[in-house]
Amino acid sequence: MPALILPATLLVLLMMVAPMVLLFRYSLNLYSPTELMIEAFTARNYLSAVTDSYYREVMGTTLQVAFFSTLIALTAGFPAAYALARMRGRWKAWLTLLTVFPLMVGNVVRAAGWMTLLGNTGVVNAGLRATGLLSGPVQLMYTPGAVVAGIVTVVLPYMILTLSSVIEGIPRNVEEAAQNMGARPFTVFRRIIFPLALPGVVAGSALVFILCMNAYATPVLLGGAQFKMMAPAVYDQFVRTTNWPFGAALAFILLAVTLGLTVAGSALLQRRYRR
Amino acid sequence: MSDTGSMRRRTFLGAAGLGAAALASRRAVAAERVVVGTWGGDYGDLLAKNVDEPIAGKLGLEVLHQTADASPRKAKLIAERAARRGTLDVALLSDVDMYEVSRHGLLDTLDMGRIANAPHIVASLARPYAIPQIYSGQVILYNPDKVNPAPRSYADLWDPKYRGRVGFSDLLYSQITSVAALVGGGSMSDYGPAKKALLDLKALGAKVYPSNETLAVALKGEEVWLTVMWLARGYQWRRSGINLRHAEPAEGVTPILYQGAIPKNAQNKAQAYAYLNAMLDPRAQAGFAARMGYVPTVTNATLPDDLAAQIALTPEQQARFRLPDYEYVAQHAAEIFDFWNRQFKA
Repeated sequence: MPALILPATLLVLLMMVAPMVLLFRYSLNLYSPTELMIEAFTARNYLSAVTDSYYREVMGTTLQVAFFSTLIALTAGFPAAYALARMRGRWKAWLTLLTVFPLMVGNVVRAAGWMTLLGNTGVVNAGLRATGLLSGPVQLMYTPGAVVAGIVTVVLPYMILTLSSVIEGIPRNVEEAAQNMGARPFTVFRRIIFPLALPGVVAGSALVFILCMNAYATPVLLGGAQFKMMAPAVYDQFVRTTNWPFGAALAFILLAVTLGLTVAGSALLQRRYRR
Repeated sequence: MSDTGSMRRRTFLGAAGLGAAALASRRAVAAERVVVGTWGGDYGDLLAKNVDEPIAGKLGLEVLHQTADASPRKAKLIAERAARRGTLDVALLSDVDMYEVSRHGLLDTLDMGRIANAPHIVASLARPYAIPQIYSGQVILYNPDKVNPAPRSYADLWDPKYRGRVGFSDLLYSQITSVAALVGGGSMSDYGPAKKALLDLKALGAKVYPSNETLAVALKGEEVWLTVMWLARGYQWRRSGINLRHAEPAEGVTPILYQGAIPKNAQNKAQAYAYLNAMLDPRAQAGFAARMGYVPTVTNATLPDDLAAQIALTPEQQARFRLPDYEYVAQHAAEIFDFWNRQFKA
């Protein structure tokens, strides 16, 4: 049996753990414009990132976007996941296919679509001007709202599919029993379905939160030059300024914050509803 | 049994022979292959149409493009610096990026004797580590219906009457910082005064767009009226119907040069030299000029008069060139980027 997990383990060790270890080692080096990297063993990059108000602000923006996007995806995704889970017949197969359809389009292509919709000369502005509701264009592109909207469309299928697979496992007669005992639909949702779907809520929210924290293409294309999230900031350090040690430190800070908040959030949610 | 055994042996030997032949032919193909790290889009298409197919192809070279923006390709060259066998045979970058890569010791010093077209290179554009492929100049682009009289100096972008109407491409952060340095009383070797000048411009509502293309959309929609850009891009944008003129800044035109070089760890150096030579061919140079508006870098390439009038830089303009200080930019790259990101854009 242990031999069965060997290929996957080797793949992960080679493709995931080895680069991470190397990156972590880089994060302890020092940057030099002439030599790129000076071998060292210092936490200076981590300290500079944590004490720098600019990067604290970038992390704050990232957390806000990730939190609101996850919340919107959960709120919008739960009813859809419930409907999908309770559906029978070929409609279910079609709707499942439609749910995953956005994932068949690349992030960049999807963002390009949003750009043509939200630009100052885009479809939305042109429509509003044609109806006489606006005289000049309203700024929709390059706003935090555009980024959240763009990210939600990317992550929503993940939330819906995760939730619906868990909701499918909740026997329908549990809901019917509650209704027979006089519970209103909202009470059934609050007292029966949601607590039973909690593993799905936790898994879906964790998955979506991680995806949001690491979003790259959507914030760059829809947020514009002034809007900065962590993944583009990490990329800038590696690619634009070739400061690999600092970029590596930023990447590990992002990893630690994402991991910490995901674990803490999941634990909190489970503890709250276990009572 | 023995028959079957002999058949198996023959089959095996035959298959082995075929395998060896296939390997040898693959090696032969690989020997004529040249991998070029380049921009995609229009530039990549032009490279294919003007260099790869008509010139390099006839020499028997199989040209493969590795396309990406300049920054990731530069990062890749740096990432591969310890590798004995690099993935690129020819690296194409702007002069500022190429200098930085060369400074890290990643490029061969070119043997110009192996490049037949090298003697035709415009002397001021020649570098020991790269050939100049195309070039243009940094100018002010403006909307003639909105900006009247025409701007004469970079300082005109700081005029309060253009509040909120000046826009830049985020990709040109280093160039715009040099412009601010000149306006603020600094020089190409002292960007210190750029900080205050950039903050003044920020207070005047200057806009930053994430790419050249998004800036073009803003110019077309008359969201902004003025920018600093390459003359060649102004030519392309005018051709695409954007209402633009260009003005030569009184501070002098800064040339932007696109170069080709051979990484030290390139695997096909002979082919790389042949490719660099093909890029300097007058036919290839004229093709880039007609479509993209970049000026040839060789003296034996001539342009039609009407095209030259739109894109060429006169000898007087060339004499007044405000040349970049590559070493200063390389030394201060992180600082320039940080200020742009944290203070100007924030």
